[in-house]
Parts: sequence; structure tokens; C-alpha cells
Amino acid sequence: MDDILVQALIQGLLIGATYGFIALGLGIIYSVSGVINFSHGDFVTLGMFLCYSLWSVLSLDPYISIAITLPVFIVIGAVLYRYLIQPIVGVHMLMIIQLTLGVSFILQNGLLMIFGGQPLRTPSAFEAKLLFVTDSVILRLTLVVAFVVSLILACVLYWLLNRTDFGRSVRAIHQNPRAAALMGINVTAVRTITFAAGFGILAIAAGLLLPGTPAHPGMGLRYTVITLMVIILGGMTNFFGIVLGGFLIGVSEAIGTVYVSGIMGMMMPYAIFVLMLLFRPQGILRRAS
Amino acid sequence: MLEVSSLNAGYGRVKVLDDVSLTIKRGEMVALLGANNAGKSTLIHCLSGLVPPTSGSMSLDGTDFTGWPPHRIVELGISQVPEGRLIFPQMTIRENLLLGGINRRALPDRQKSTDYVLDLFPRLSERIDQMAGTLSGGEQQMLAIGRGLVAQPKLLILDEPSLGLSPLMVQLIFRVLRQLHEAGLTILLVEQNLNLALAYASRCYVLERGSMVLNGLSSDVKNDPRTRKAYLGL
Repeated sequence: MDDILVQALIQGLLIGATYGFIALGLGIIYSVSGVINFSHGDFVTLGMFLCYSLWSVLSLDPYISIAITLPVFIVIGAVLYRYLIQPIVGVHMLMIIQLTLGVSFILQNGLLMIFGGQPLRTPSAFEAKLLFVTDSVILRLTLVVAFVVSLILACVLYWLLNRTDFGRSVRAIHQNPRAAALMGINVTAVRTITFAAGFGILAIAAGLLLPGTPAHPGMGLRYTVITLMVIILGGMTNFFGIVLGGFLIGVSEAIGTVYVSGIMGMMMPYAIFVLMLLFRPQGILRRAS
Repeated sequence: MLEVSSLNAGYGRVKVLDDVSLTIKRGEMVALLGANNAGKSTLIHCLSGLVPPTSGSMSLDGTDFTGWPPHRIVELGISQVPEGRLIFPQMTIRENLLLGGINRRALPDRQKSTDYVLDLFPRLSERIDQMAGTLSGGEQQMLAIGRGLVAQPKLLILDEPSLGLSPLMVQLIFRVLRQLHEAGLTILLVEQNLNLALAYASRCYVLERGSMVLNGLSSDVKNDPRTRKAYLGL
């Protein structure tokens, strides 16, 4: 294998872990409440701009800023669910799609008003550090950090879902909300906490992706679309499917950028996505859980 | 122990329960009878907090729980084994039982009550790590009852426990119910099968089109012509 391919593969796997992690946030929210949040990616952008602000005002490193943006996002997630989304759950699926799309537009244009349309860079202590895998395969340390943290947190999430009472409540609500209520589970509270956790994931992902990535108010849609592709490929609520879907999209994006020129290269993940839907519509893995 | 008085409930403009009252004493096994659409399910959904009553009151051991959400009612001590069992199919039997004891009052003794249930239903014990969705209908009913018991209820409500089961399995399940009753558990049984309900419950209530038309000892209810009328619409 030539070095460029190895480089693209590794880089794709690294970024794919974070895609998978973001998609897990969307997936757990969907699994307990049936809500697809179309502003998911825009909250990643919001997280990035919060980190940028904390850097420009307090010169905080994005990794450290997560300690501040995480609780903020947890509160945003809980409030958003409790006061905006929950009142219209069960009215019509389209209402929720419109609502979250509306939130997406407010975020995009709000950020545009405050920060303008110029891509903004936020420096980090690790940004310039490089890892030499071989002489010609070079990785940015920030990507490796994002990969490791995403995978560790995905494992923590898996443990939470499968080994704790809270996780069992989440899965019970996914399988049958009425039966879950009859068990004595406070369904509204679990859904609110899950939303909060899903948003917390976005705050962490934003901090992980920011070093080396110029932030722009309009970039959220791309993250939303990537996330949607990942969870559709993964099978909506299939934990391992979603993680695998993240890798698949990450790798196809990296390979597309290297081997196919310009705009065509950026279409690569979408092409793979369409092919997967055509030939394996049930998702990468068969629905297991 | 359970006191329901002048309960009214409905869905939108459709009134389902009309001034329904019901009393259950500690340790009793009471059956709630009636034809389809008589309002039996609505009544017990009110008791479990799934349907909010429009007026009237419900209390358990003197605590008024009218309008409480389901999880607080479970914590108070009312547990429902729902119609159609509603077990969690993609979880193991063990996990289903753990979820049964998730309310704050039952949590400290969850292990002990799980062991009790596994003694009661040895079949569940043999399949403890099997996915609940792979169980037979009868085994699922055992699991649903077991799950309800792990909640350590003061009052156990069973909604149509014989539905869709073989006669042999029905016998097995009802034998366990009698055993539980004899051990002192208070039970409210909703049952389509008239003879079955009358054979096991000491007292009965009969609902007809949302109103309580009859209540009394099972032996009296059995011979009352109004029971037939409520069931067959004669």
C-alpha cells in the first residue's frame, strides 16, 4: 500500500471516531424520544464558537474550555427538550423537524450576526504537534486526541446503557414507553437527561474537532448531514452500527479528498451512502438492539 | 386499602367512566368484570396514572394519589401487569426483572424480591439470561407478573392475565395468583373469562358501559341475572 492511501485511511478512521461519537448523541436522543434533531450539527458549531470566545476573551485552550461548554450544553439540552420539544412530541413528526430546523437557522444566523462570515481559527497547545507513523505518514496530534477521547467516551456510554439502571431505563423507554412508566420509571426525566447527555456529547465533540479546524457559522449543516448518514447506515439505534458508520463515513471522506479531485472528492461519502442504501438498506449491521 | 370514589374519566369528549366507585380491603382478591369497552382498562389506567381522571378521587392507605404520574404511583405501591404483557423483548429476563424493581421503595430489596420471583417461577430461573422476546406467551406472562412483583406492590393489578394462553398455562398462572393471595398480597384482577374470575376472586365488581352496575361476593354475582346482561348485553 502506498503511503498516501495509508495516510488517508488512518486519518479517516481518526475523524470517523468523532463522527460516530456525535452520531451516538443523535442516536440515543432518537431512541428514547423518537426525535430527530436537525440542529444537531449547528450545536457543534455553537460549541466551537463558544470555545473560540473563551479563547479570545480568556485565552483558554479549547480542550480546557470543554469544562465550561459541557455544563452549558447539558443545560441547553435539558431546557430545549423540556420547554420546546416535549410540548409538541406526539403532535406530528413534521412539527419536530420544523422546530429543530428553525433552531438550526436561528443558531446559524445568530452566529453569523455576532462573529461574521470569516472562518475563525482557535489555536491550541497541541495544534502544531505532529506524530510520525512512518517517514511519510504524518498525523496531527489533535486528531489522535479526538479519536482516543471519542472512543473512550463511546465505551463509557456503552457501559452506561448496558450496565446501569439509568441505561436500562433508556432502553426500556426505547422498547416501550408505556411499560417503562408502569415499572416506575420517570419517563420525562429520563428523556430530559438523555437530551442533556446528547448535547453534552456535542460540547465535547466541538472542543475535540476545533483545534486545526476553522470555525464558520454555516458548517453545522455538514455535521448534521454526516451524522444523519452515520445513524442511518448504523441502523438508527444500533450502538456498534453507529460507531462503524462513523468510521465508514470518515474513511470515505478522507479517501475521496485524496484521490478524487475537488468537489467530486467531497461527494465521496454521499456516494458511498447512496450505494449502501441501494445494496444494504438494513444498515451495516442487522438491527440487534 | 384502595378507595376509589366517584371517578369520571374519558378521552376528549368521549366519556368512558361515569361516577365509578370501588373499595378493596387489604389482602383481598377482587375481580373487575365487564364486556369489551365497558371501561375496565380505562379504570385501571386511571389507577396506574396512565389516564388522568376528570373528577373523583383515588387513595391508597389514606394517601390521595389522584392525578399523580405513573412512576410515583408505582413508588406508592400500586403495580400493574399490563394487558398484552408488554415485557421488554430485547432485554434478558434478568434485566426485565431488574427494571421491575427500579422504583425507589423496591430498590434496596431488589435482589431478595428477584430471588422470590425466580422461586415462584422456576421456568424463568432456567432462562434467566435469555432474551425475553424469545419466550412463549405463557412464559412472558410469568415474566410480566414476576416483574410486577419485584416492584413489591401493596396492590397488584392484573389486566387480562389469561389472554391468549393455553388452558394449562392459565391454570398454572392462576395457581400462582392464588398462592400470592394466600401469602397476603392484595390483588385486583381484570378478566374477560367470567368463570375463571369468579372461581378465584372472593369479590367482584361489574362494569357496564362505564358504570358500576353490580358488586358483591363472587357467589352472589355469579347467580345475578345482571351479570349476564352486562356481559352479553341481553
